Amino acid sequence: MGLSSYILRRLFYGLILMLGVVVLNFFLIHAAPGDAAEVIAGEMGGTTEEMMAQIRAHYGLDQPLLWQLWLYLKQVAVLDLGTSYHFNRPVTELIAQRIWPTVLLAMSAQLVAMLIGVVMGVLASRKPQGAFSGFVSVFSTVGYAAPVFWTGLMLVILFAATIPIFPVEGMVSARFRGSGLAYALNVAHHLVLPATTLGILFLAQYARLSRTAMIEVLGADYIRTARAKGLGEGKVTFRHALRNAVLPILTVAGLQFGNLISGALLVETVFNWPGMGRLAFDSVLRRDYPTLLGVLFCASAVVVIANLVTDLSYRFADPRIRTGGR
Amino acid sequence: MNPLMSLQDLRVEFDTRHGRVTALSGVSLDVMPGETLGIVGESGCGKSITALAMMGLIPNPPGHLTEGTITFDGEDITRAPARRMRQLRGGEIAMIFQEPMTSLNPVFTVGDQIAESILLHQDISRAEADKQVVELLETVGIPEPAARARTYPHQLSGGMRQRVMIAMAISCRPKLLIADEPTTALDVTVQAQIFDLMRDIQQKFGVAIVLITHDMGAIAEMTDRVAVMYAGRVIEQGLSDQILDDPLHPYTRGLIGCIPVLGRAAASADRLPPLAEIPGVVPPLHLLGKGCAFADRCALADDRCRADRPLLSAAGHGHPVACHHAGVPA
Repeated sequence: MGLSSYILRRLFYGLILMLGVVVLNFFLIHAAPGDAAEVIAGEMGGTTEEMMAQIRAHYGLDQPLLWQLWLYLKQVAVLDLGTSYHFNRPVTELIAQRIWPTVLLAMSAQLVAMLIGVVMGVLASRKPQGAFSGFVSVFSTVGYAAPVFWTGLMLVILFAATIPIFPVEGMVSARFRGSGLAYALNVAHHLVLPATTLGILFLAQYARLSRTAMIEVLGADYIRTARAKGLGEGKVTFRHALRNAVLPILTVAGLQFGNLISGALLVETVFNWPGMGRLAFDSVLRRDYPTLLGVLFCASAVVVIANLVTDLSYRFADPRIRTGGR
Repeated sequence: MNPLMSLQDLRVEFDTRHGRVTALSGVSLDVMPGETLGIVGESGCGKSITALAMMGLIPNPPGHLTEGTITFDGEDITRAPARRMRQLRGGEIAMIFQEPMTSLNPVFTVGDQIAESILLHQDISRAEADKQVVELLETVGIPEPAARARTYPHQLSGGMRQRVMIAMAISCRPKLLIADEPTTALDVTVQAQIFDLMRDIQQKFGVAIVLITHDMGAIAEMTDRVAVMYAGRVIEQGLSDQILDDPLHPYTRGLIGCIPVLGRAAASADRLPPLAEIPGVVPPLHLLGKGCAFADRCALADDRCRADRPLLSAAGHGHPVACHHAGVPA
């Protein structure tokens, strides 16, 4: 099967998946207790039954649910995600502002987690009974078990209160007016704690996974061949073994994207990071259906694309998949 | 003539959950330049450990080389530094393994893997190495060598992969080639082809071969001299013809009795003698007593065998054997 037809087929499946996500979330949101009209009216400072009816009519909330769904799907098909009840602005516009901070946060967390996690796992695998290996195992268990909001708060206490070296709030300093490199550095400074918080959860998994994968691969016959060739341990570990151990790591990395986005939601709330997670959180509280649906729609799109990229990288990394062998 | 590779009184121990066990004990072997030495025995007899010791690849931990010396080409390599051993491995001493299916790295092309070995030991350019790869693949009888060099191991059959392993092993013109059960995982016709190839290569490059096997047929076909191993010791040693025609140790006789004879079967199919077997299994190394390790499986064993381990000696026989009842018919 050609690569392009493979990608097209995967994108097609992705679209079906996203349709499912939209329909399911639409019903979930409407099944949840609370009434958007009441919240809107509440923010206006109280109202009459007449006004409530007007609000409902204005937002189409008086229509039958299936009809509302149909209208919404027609909009989504042309990438119009509706208008936010709360902000009174197009949802696409709101998301366009928020998606980059989230992607930045998620990607830096993922990158840091993978790099450090894999290096830790590899080092641990070289002496599976050693002290460092034990440390990695314990660290992984703790890191994986700790909820992100707790890790986040602990980091805040440690690096913002006790030793105040990192900011705990927002993405740029409130009064910062720079651009270019200075701006990037300011954002990076703000990124450290949220990305670490989110990263620790995944780092623990990568460390554990790559430790196990490396121990297995290091026992393989082709590693003995590599040593018999006269290769040094460094090349045996990083060229021959890691190249194989990276395959299960990639698989898990792909599956993690969904968790990464939902983890970002919590972390953004703790650190007031102006991303989609924060937007979703606020929309839930405000019963801002179009915004919430839009966020979920975009999040699922990100996950679908990330999974596709993972699958493609897997084909690149494993010749047995690329050439259709065993 | 001086031996190319010489093991003197080698002792290798392993830490296991049963405590320290002796995997090799008092093993002395010489490999002459250009000859083929067979090491034969069942699983667990120490033949593969002997091969790894020759390569300096005893995994440590849990393995320890506690006694004896290993000499290669006049150089004592028993405690040679890692750097020197890496030069020898793949350069002067090469090895091929039992499982061609899993002995090649699945994520690199076979050409890359052979070239890696060449570039490691020779000071030449990548392009020059690639040229050598194609020549080597041709030497080991792989059709369309230039195209095959760009394939991955999973795209080749078991026999082809073993040919690739051989190409890799001979890439730097080693003086010694250690073949650890090179044909066990292959079917019979392919086995014969691989043996033919190994003989060709020996003639062409004058390489000495250590052939490790459990198959007496392979010993008969390939080797000049043979060492029979049991429970970590050499129990009989000599010219292959001597050993095959006049085996002295009951264990060696058992091994030879395990070769099915096609002619006899064809002549009298209705009165086919049952294929011989050696009763029992090799005793676990941590349960070895002070007597002969083979005593429990031996029809000739008496109290002396169980109390007193026979030493390898040629006294009174044509070749060295370690048995109190050497040569006595069972």
